Amino acid sequence: MTRFGAVATNARDAAEWSTGRVVRTNLRAIFGRAYPRIIGLTREPSWVFFEIVLPFLAVSAFVFVYRALEAPEEYIGFVVLGGAVTAFWLNVVWMMAAQFYWEKDQGNLELYFTAPMHLMSILAGMAIGGLVLTSSRALAVIGIGSLVYGVTYDVQEPFALAGVFLLTMIPLYGMGMLFASLFLLWGREAYHLAELLQEPIYFLGGVNFPLQAISAVAGVVIATLPLAVGLDAMRQLAFSSSPVEGVLPVQTEAIILAAMGVLFLVGARLALRYLEELARREGRLTLRWQ
Amino acid sequence: MTDRAAVRGMTLADSWRSFRTAIRLGWAIEANWSDPLLFAIYTMAKPLAAAGILVVMFHVITQGQNPDFLQFLIVGSALWNIVFGVMAGLVQSILEDRERYRMIKYVVVTPTSLFPFLLGRSLARVIVALVAVVLTLAVGVIFLGVELRPDLLYLIPATLVGVLAVIGLGIFMAGWCLQLRQEAWHYPEAIAGALYLISGAIFPIDVLPSWLHPIAYAFPTTWWLEATRRGLLGHGSPGAIGTVSDGMVMLFLVISTAVVIPLALAAFAWFIKRARQAGLLDMVTGS
Repeated sequence: MTRFGAVATNARDAAEWSTGRVVRTNLRAIFGRAYPRIIGLTREPSWVFFEIVLPFLAVSAFVFVYRALEAPEEYIGFVVLGGAVTAFWLNVVWMMAAQFYWEKDQGNLELYFTAPMHLMSILAGMAIGGLVLTSSRALAVIGIGSLVYGVTYDVQEPFALAGVFLLTMIPLYGMGMLFASLFLLWGREAYHLAELLQEPIYFLGGVNFPLQAISAVAGVVIATLPLAVGLDAMRQLAFSSSPVEGVLPVQTEAIILAAMGVLFLVGARLALRYLEELARREGRLTLRWQ
Repeated sequence: MTDRAAVRGMTLADSWRSFRTAIRLGWAIEANWSDPLLFAIYTMAKPLAAAGILVVMFHVITQGQNPDFLQFLIVGSALWNIVFGVMAGLVQSILEDRERYRMIKYVVVTPTSLFPFLLGRSLARVIVALVAVVLTLAVGVIFLGVELRPDLLYLIPATLVGVLAVIGLGIFMAGWCLQLRQEAWHYPEAIAGALYLISGAIFPIDVLPSWLHPIAYAFPTTWWLEATRRGLLGHGSPGAIGTVSDGMVMLFLVISTAVVIPLALAAFAWFIKRARQAGLLDMVTGS
């Protein structure tokens, strides 16, 4: 029972805390979940190596394809920028979307459900930690790729570029938060789903070519995939003098990204509520390997 | 510990039984008891999208000109599924069975050898990879105008020898990853990614910096791709390797494979011995 006489349905209700304590607890939860990812920046040297080398190898392969095709130089820049954004996408897929599934396997999920903090705090911590961790990898890919392949950028609106980057990250990680709940609900399919969200998304997102090239489906992609919209806008701003046009003007894409941000965060909140209810009612979400 | 080969009663039939059982197990784990339709979608979408990226890149730049290069791209992209499938299959079998299912130690203490078990356990991924190869080639032929002129007398031996070479590389990787933490699941991707760059899978080797050329020509994967392209398309790749005669390509493939296989087997045996001595077979490095 809570102090108001209602039956507590979760650990948060049962912990009759002041608003200040609730806020502090949730902030601590965000920091606690972000901490391993931030501290992991340097703690596992093999991760540093692979998280930079793997995207760089992929970028290199596509750069050499463009070189073999004697493509204009800005395409090399498109691939390098696409490779950096890919690092964020991989982080969203493997360390956000699939994370609750792994957490269940490790036995952490039941602790999350029974602790008196909001699950959104856990997801926010995962997102903030992942964003910091991946930013370092993405910067390394851009730095190394640009140096090795001699990419020249033409940034005339640096603040707009930074703004679009941040606007891209919100729906991207919001999508990861939403998928975290959905992957958990879909159980064993999590690994396959994560696999499915790689090459097909790189293709639809125009990671290695201008999105305009698949104009027939670009409209649908723009409407649903923050990776594609953000990358298209960032390319327009990072290569201002390029004759290759974006699918939509940058301002329009920024509005779409903002709308997607709200949509995915609200979607994540609703999916979490459903998940929490299901976890308590059926109890099967804490079973390993299911 | 007694050497497995010295266990009395251990026969080829035992190895075959172990291999077959491992195939069933590997398939169940790989398909993850999923809906067959969903599994088919997963299996098809990834390789088709990977090839689709290259096709769009090609069309953006060439507007469909230079169809020979498109054929080169499609065949290389299709065949690379095998390299990744074999490497990832072998390495992930080792790591999953040690770290996640924690049963590799039980396989090791049975009279059967780990080797047939490992091959069978990873076969599911190889089968999925073969499906991806066929599918990508079929899409290339039906929708993209890829003209296959198979020369079976050249293609079959090239495929057999090449796949043996790839299995050799995979076995080496599996033994190596047994020495490492569970993060080693990155390794096949990294090694396959590096080989993808230097083997001329999707661009001619000539485009690479010249200091990488000797490394590219030393790997069997380079000669396997070239031989298979010739067996499938009837002509070689663009660039210098395309000027090498068919006989020499096959010879280089056989020689490089003949070097890789014994080295890989010896390395695997040494890695297993070291794993037993160092207690790595039941090591759990965090889950």
